[in-house]
Amino acid sequence: MKEQIEKIRQSALEEIKNANDEKVLNDARVKYLGKKGELTLILRGMGGLSSEERPVIGSLVNEVRDEIENLIEERKKEFKVAEIKRKLETEKIDVTMPGKKIELGSVHPITQIINDIKEIFIGMGYQIADGPEVEFATYNFDKLNTPPDHPARDIQDTFYITDDIVLRSQTSPVQARVMETQKPPIKIICPGVVYRSDSVDATHSPVFHQIEGLVVDKNISMGDLKGTLEMFAKKCLGEKTQIRFRPHHFPFTEPSAEADVSCFVCGGKGCRVCKEEGWIELLGCGMVHPNVLRNCGIDPEIYSGFAFGMRNRKNSNGEIWNRRYAFII
Amino acid sequence: MKASLEWLNEYADIDVSAKELGDILTMTGSKVETIDDKSGEIKNVVVGKILEVKSHINADKLVVTKVDVGNGEVLQIITGASNIIVGTSGQIVPVAKPGSSLPGGKEIKTGKLRGIESCGMLCSMGELGIDPATYPDAEEDGIFILDSKYEKNIGEDIVDVLGLRESIIDFEITPNRPDCLSIEGLGRETAVSLNKPFKNPRKNLDEMKIENKKELEGLTVEISAPDLCYRYIARVVKNIKIGPSPEWMVRRLNACGVRSINNIVDITNYVMLELGQPMHAFDINSIDGKHINVRRAKANEEIITLDGQKRKLNENMLVIADSKKPVAIAGVMGGENSEIENDTKTIVFESAVFYGGSVRKTAKVVGLRTEASSRYEKGLAPENALRAVNRAVELIELLGAGEPVDGMVDVYPTKQKIVKIPLEVDRINRLLGINLSKEEMVTILNKLNIKVENDIVIPPFFRQDIEQTADVAEEVLRFYGYDKLETTLVSADTTLGGKNKKQTIEDNISDLLVHSGLSEIYTYGFVSENDLRKCNISKDSNYAKQAIKIINPLSEDYTMMKTTSVPSMMQMLENNNNYKNKNVKLFDISRIYKNINQNIEEGELPEEDTILTIGMYGEDIDFYILKGLVENVLNIVGVTKYDVVKETENDMYHPGRCANIKIGKDVIGTIGEVNPLLATNYDISQRVLFAEVNIDKIVKYARNVKKYTPIPKFPAVERDIAMIVDETVEVGQIQKIIEKKAKKLLEEAKLFDVYRSEKIGNDKKSIAYALKFRVPDRTLTDDEINVVMKEIIEELEKQLNAELRK
Repeated sequence: MKEQIEKIRQSALEEIKNANDEKVLNDARVKYLGKKGELTLILRGMGGLSSEERPVIGSLVNEVRDEIENLIEERKKEFKVAEIKRKLETEKIDVTMPGKKIELGSVHPITQIINDIKEIFIGMGYQIADGPEVEFATYNFDKLNTPPDHPARDIQDTFYITDDIVLRSQTSPVQARVMETQKPPIKIICPGVVYRSDSVDATHSPVFHQIEGLVVDKNISMGDLKGTLEMFAKKCLGEKTQIRFRPHHFPFTEPSAEADVSCFVCGGKGCRVCKEEGWIELLGCGMVHPNVLRNCGIDPEIYSGFAFGMRNRKNSNGEIWNRRYAFII
Repeated sequence: MKASLEWLNEYADIDVSAKELGDILTMTGSKVETIDDKSGEIKNVVVGKILEVKSHINADKLVVTKVDVGNGEVLQIITGASNIIVGTSGQIVPVAKPGSSLPGGKEIKTGKLRGIESCGMLCSMGELGIDPATYPDAEEDGIFILDSKYEKNIGEDIVDVLGLRESIIDFEITPNRPDCLSIEGLGRETAVSLNKPFKNPRKNLDEMKIENKKELEGLTVEISAPDLCYRYIARVVKNIKIGPSPEWMVRRLNACGVRSINNIVDITNYVMLELGQPMHAFDINSIDGKHINVRRAKANEEIITLDGQKRKLNENMLVIADSKKPVAIAGVMGGENSEIENDTKTIVFESAVFYGGSVRKTAKVVGLRTEASSRYEKGLAPENALRAVNRAVELIELLGAGEPVDGMVDVYPTKQKIVKIPLEVDRINRLLGINLSKEEMVTILNKLNIKVENDIVIPPFFRQDIEQTADVAEEVLRFYGYDKLETTLVSADTTLGGKNKKQTIEDNISDLLVHSGLSEIYTYGFVSENDLRKCNISKDSNYAKQAIKIINPLSEDYTMMKTTSVPSMMQMLENNNNYKNKNVKLFDISRIYKNINQNIEEGELPEEDTILTIGMYGEDIDFYILKGLVENVLNIVGVTKYDVVKETENDMYHPGRCANIKIGKDVIGTIGEVNPLLATNYDISQRVLFAEVNIDKIVKYARNVKKYTPIPKFPAVERDIAMIVDETVEVGQIQKIIEKKAKKLLEEAKLFDVYRSEKIGNDKKSIAYALKFRVPDRTLTDDEINVVMKEIIEELEKQLNAELRK
């Protein structure tokens, strides 16, 4: 009987090994392992065996059965792999065809700049402040040490709604409002739209954006202002950027300065962008004028502060801040 | 303010180039605008004398000259200039010898002109970079023919002979420093900046003692408006000899951009440039009653100013008047009626100080901003006025232009205050972040003529800008060096940086829209009447009534502030449409301004709301895409409970395709198709989708509470339901019934089909929903679902007359 089993095993393995498609495998399974399969018949015929022989033959049959089954499975897998491989050959695509995507929109370039600047100052602990665009002249001018006869108040420069209400010509009134309502330490920047009575040309627009900064606390120094702006310039324009302070005059700060940055195009050697000067005017700044602090209810004997403002300027460089506001119109 | 190095050198020894001086002064606060540096540009150009002029055999328009250029050298030079005529000789001219160079880098060599050798060039004023005004007698075109007095200089360098080595720096002077609108002021800044002694050439003016008289040659002075005139000094000069000014004076005036007129006018201008105090000179005989009254103009009074223009005056303006009429607009310009004429014998020099604000306003109103007014408007020092008038008289004597009358009439109602500020060394150090000793500060201040006595800072009369410690600090810093400020970081209490809720919401919305394919635009806050008309907004609508108007608009297009964002967005869409841009999707986050209470005249600010505006047109865009977009916006900011309600009354929208987004009764936004009647006004024939969402209201309702929901542990049960309803039934009604009846078992009810056909009936439609049921704690049984489904169906049948499709 053992020889018979061995014979079945041999021929089954042979058949399976030589099979070249799945059908042959299935036929082989039926032929050997099916209900009427050769190996099954042997099991059935075990009735005539002795009780010693029966388990020996039984386990032998099972071993052979497992062997056959495993080989069938193995061969099936081989066929599957071969089939997938064949399929892969036929499924080649042109990966250089365009991707299918949801078209992205974009934010306005000025929003991008403002967002970058906001991020830098938020990282330094600044809040983003905001205020009305239609503003009292008191906030836009008087509290900021700009008395009634000051040239900035001319009707030629500022849009008036009534004698006392204007379209804000600077974001500084936000500073005044914050100083009136918050106690130091104050650290804010206020980005926003401002209005000036300028006709539209290459560098002017009646509507443009400004960003102002204000810090008020005890012992705030001009060195702090320079350090803050230096850090800002490095983050915004690159680590190699240098900052330079020049004396200047603004009604709301004293001492006042104009801050230049080393030209980020030529690195300070002098080029067309910086007009061969190596420096580019960045912003106006200074220590908050004691009159302004006083006007906003902060005691200049105890507190000091600095302020800075970036605005659209005729001679400033296009890449930082002189983008014409309305270029989409 | 222009200043020549030659003039500044009178105040401090300048041993640096114009460029270097400019850089140094820029860093101490006198910013350089431009430098006109002529020194070194002109080389090897000498004074020559023409010996003969002959015609050129090969050219009609050229002549051949023989020119004596000194040291026995005679050059043959060809020129085509119209003022060198054949047969003439003896003219003294500038000669560029071979190997010379001219401004702009032009080099002169020996060459042949039409076959005849020319050894150099005769020069015009332009070629030498000379302003023709310097030599009013010389011909502007053609070769520069010099005065015969220069015959003695033949062969000498023209630069030395004519003083052309002039470098002129143009400074931008900040409005707080009117003292620097003078050579003396800039000279002082130069001396301190270069750390050189201030030579103080006008020191004598401080020591002069002039008797103050009630009248001079019958002239009296009265100030009727002492609030606008702080000081008025008159001095008189007799036997005036009007004539040209000396060359040195003309050259200095020219360097500062002032043209020479005659010696008297030039003296007034010279003093203004030198000392910063505007001067005026009248003919004493033109002053009626010989009485000068500084008073406010009368309403509708008129004056013809020196430029020949008739100027209408008003009561806010200050004039210098005689007993009958105004003779000058104070601080702005003199009148023709008192002008110095060639036969003038006796003149009055005026040196006065007026209130700057008034001069500025007057100059604006009459439209005349002069050298004088631009100085006055910054606020001049009354103490300087006396120095100026005495300097003018001194120059008269120097030029031999007349005989000064002894004494002066000086009306000085408000004496200039002497400011005293305690020297707070620590405070200054702290404010600046530096560490200077008291002595170091005092040294800097003293150099600037600022006295320090017993720790009290006393600024000089010409520094009225120094009023308090912060001003003193700035002076210290200017000469300590802005560039020496060490950079430190704020060491104050830690503050938490960040955006507020509204800013965060705006940024989140912006991100979502950009990722949904929309692009941000900026629009102006202005609108015009025409914009409202184009948007079908009638004059009695709230949009028109609540708009605030600008008193001084730039143009018709910008007359008021917008109360709706529709016009500005429509204009953008129109522009894009005109440019043939397809599939345009834009958004704008900006404000509208509503004078809701109509109280702006009473001093109430208008309401400002921030509005998200979406405007789209193009393929694959419809109401539902817009609605989905806006729902996403509401979802990401945390507005979850709202109703979308049909809106038929909004004229700007399609009456059948518009909805309001409401929370309770509060409309937080409007979405829909723009009314084609309106779109036509913007030449857009496609459907335009539009949304306006009030961000301030969103901020109010946004609940950004993030709640954790675990992944479901039990399977969902899905059931589809299809029904036929009347066309008038809204899907929203069906949805509401399903949600109400399914209660907490429902996870999602999703519309998946709307179908119409004749078979169903013309006024009917088929609606199909996929319902998904699930509870977190168990698997739902069919029985449970069946009960709910039955209830839903019954309610649909009852309320909407729905007919269930099997």
